[in-house]
Amino acid sequence: MQKSFVIKRILYAIFIFFVVLTLNFFIPRLGVDDPAERYYPPQGNMSDIEYEIIKQVTREQYGFDVSTFKQYTNYVEGLLRFDLGTSFRTGNPKVSTLIAERLPWTLVLSVSNLVISLCIGLIFGTVAAWKRGRWQDSLLLNLSTISVALPAFFIALILSFYFGFELELFPAYTNPNMVSQFDWSWEAIKVVFYNAALPIISMSIGGIIGYSQRTRNSVIAVTNEEFVLTARAKGLSQNKVLFKHTLRNAMLPIVTAVGMSLSGLIGGAVIIEQIFNWNGMGTLFLEANNTNDYPLMMGIMLFMSTIAILANLIVELTYSLLDPRITVGEKR
Amino acid sequence: MKKIKKIFKKILNSFIGIGLFIAKIWKHKKGKIGLVLVGLLAFVAIFAPLIAPYDPYDVTQRAAKGLAPSWEHLLGTTINTGQDIFSMLIYGTRVSLLVGLITGIAIAFLGAILGIIAGYVGGVADNLIMRIVDIMLVIPTLPLTIVITNLFGKSYFIIVFIFVIFGWTGLARVIRSLVLVLKNSNYVKASELAGGSRWHIMTKHILPGVSHLLIMNTALTCAGIMVAEAGLSFLGLGDPTAISWGKMLAEAQSGGALLFGHWWWIIAPGIGIFIAVFAFMRIGLVMEEILNPRMKASSGIYKLFKTLNNTYIQEVFDGMNEEVLTTKEGEIS
Repeated sequence: MQKSFVIKRILYAIFIFFVVLTLNFFIPRLGVDDPAERYYPPQGNMSDIEYEIIKQVTREQYGFDVSTFKQYTNYVEGLLRFDLGTSFRTGNPKVSTLIAERLPWTLVLSVSNLVISLCIGLIFGTVAAWKRGRWQDSLLLNLSTISVALPAFFIALILSFYFGFELELFPAYTNPNMVSQFDWSWEAIKVVFYNAALPIISMSIGGIIGYSQRTRNSVIAVTNEEFVLTARAKGLSQNKVLFKHTLRNAMLPIVTAVGMSLSGLIGGAVIIEQIFNWNGMGTLFLEANNTNDYPLMMGIMLFMSTIAILANLIVELTYSLLDPRITVGEKR
Repeated sequence: MKKIKKIFKKILNSFIGIGLFIAKIWKHKKGKIGLVLVGLLAFVAIFAPLIAPYDPYDVTQRAAKGLAPSWEHLLGTTINTGQDIFSMLIYGTRVSLLVGLITGIAIAFLGAILGIIAGYVGGVADNLIMRIVDIMLVIPTLPLTIVITNLFGKSYFIIVFIFVIFGWTGLARVIRSLVLVLKNSNYVKASELAGGSRWHIMTKHILPGVSHLLIMNTALTCAGIMVAEAGLSFLGLGDPTAISWGKMLAEAQSGGALLFGHWWWIIAPGIGIFIAVFAFMRIGLVMEEILNPRMKASSGIYKLFKTLNNTYIQEVFDGMNEEVLTTKEGEIS
């Protein structure tokens, strides 16, 4: 991998980041004369003069009392200090603090989802590819068709209905004490996963089938290569051919897929979190939306975009590392 | 007069072409069920007021709240308002089909135009379009949709708009890479040498070359968009006055269907979504098999996953594969 290629990709990622943050700055300013309008508290029974003062204070508090260009430079400057702004919530907490509080809870869901989908998907996919054309393979094909047509949130509702309300095996709503009482003890971790069981299962059904399908296609593509034929002709055992020659080479697309899914780790579970009342980034965003908390909303958006940019960058770089035949930089 | 005749002939020809294509799908052993289901959905959507036994918007049925399924109310009634669930299900078809079809077709247009321009014209245009794609791919779609509905109000118009704005990127990337291959083909080169204008080559040579991809993609996008629309309606981002399957699910959840064990209230909209998505997907996959027999049916499903399992991630992946593919081909030639 050439150094110039790495530098080029990093510079490009920074460029994309700046475009995204500019968009992020201007979106809440769309379609209104006074951009501070959305930041004023409700008038209530204040008199007009009082309200004017409150407005003025709000404008100063959120930095709307200077020109748009100055606001923009202030915004960028704040971001360089990892300052995403202040939320409207009582006590005016920093947006970054709120994100830091909720982020681990979303990661519990999305990382377990990724691990489960990947592990089971790899096994299923390999089996389907090995038993190509037999019932295992056609079962996977039919399951794929069905699982695409069943949205994850519908599966979540069914699971929460059957296992949560009918059988009462798992909690249908997350225990609100789970977050406040968490103390890293074994018991607390158990409680977290007990509560997370249904959300994780409903998220990972689609993921398992997706990774199976991908593994199957990739393994079949490799099986048709000549070196696998050679390995067989040499008289190697089935297992050796499968694990040493086929699977190892079929991993490249899977590794890329995993890398790409990293960008969805944070924003991928909004609806599922809402159904199970899970205290993650998704519910934080919906709460911000319900209270018109623009600084919080835009902060979360920027955070998600940044993660996506970083994930893309990492994947591009590892991709050229894993397969030196490809120089992703030279597109044209 | 001659011109009118020519246009008339063209329209007639295209209708015959569409007819023949549908006949082909019908003959395919997997296509029949898809066509039947889509026909059924279209029929239900168009004649919803005639089929529905009750007015689904009627929330004054105080006497008929929370009924279980019976012959009078095939799927029971809602707990809070006593609306007939079967009638709601029938009316919900309209939103799903309209949003799915309009978005699918708009995405096909936008994706084809931008993809062909990026691939064939190249240079600054290509650079600009691909940079926009890169930016679109990192912006989280669902949160942005929520912000925009918060800013401009909730309606299906805005939802379709956002779907189109974010949906064309994947298609444009795929089309672009195919165009890059076609660009080097002999017939395009011949046309260039014969002095064919860019417009002529793009519409007469490139567009027919990518049309199979477009047609297939439109069916699959429709399916994916219907799932996405249900998700947005579930979050309450759709038109608050319209009945849609996603909104029915949200109402069932908030209205206590889970608590009181009214499983039919949850299953009904889910089956609606399932049938609609399944039908369009089937047709898309069969189209893929007819138009591109070398491809295996499974790859289409894999493509569809991008719209389901939060989305832009896989799009990048697909796009990258395509790019790698073109790079390889570029190196060879």
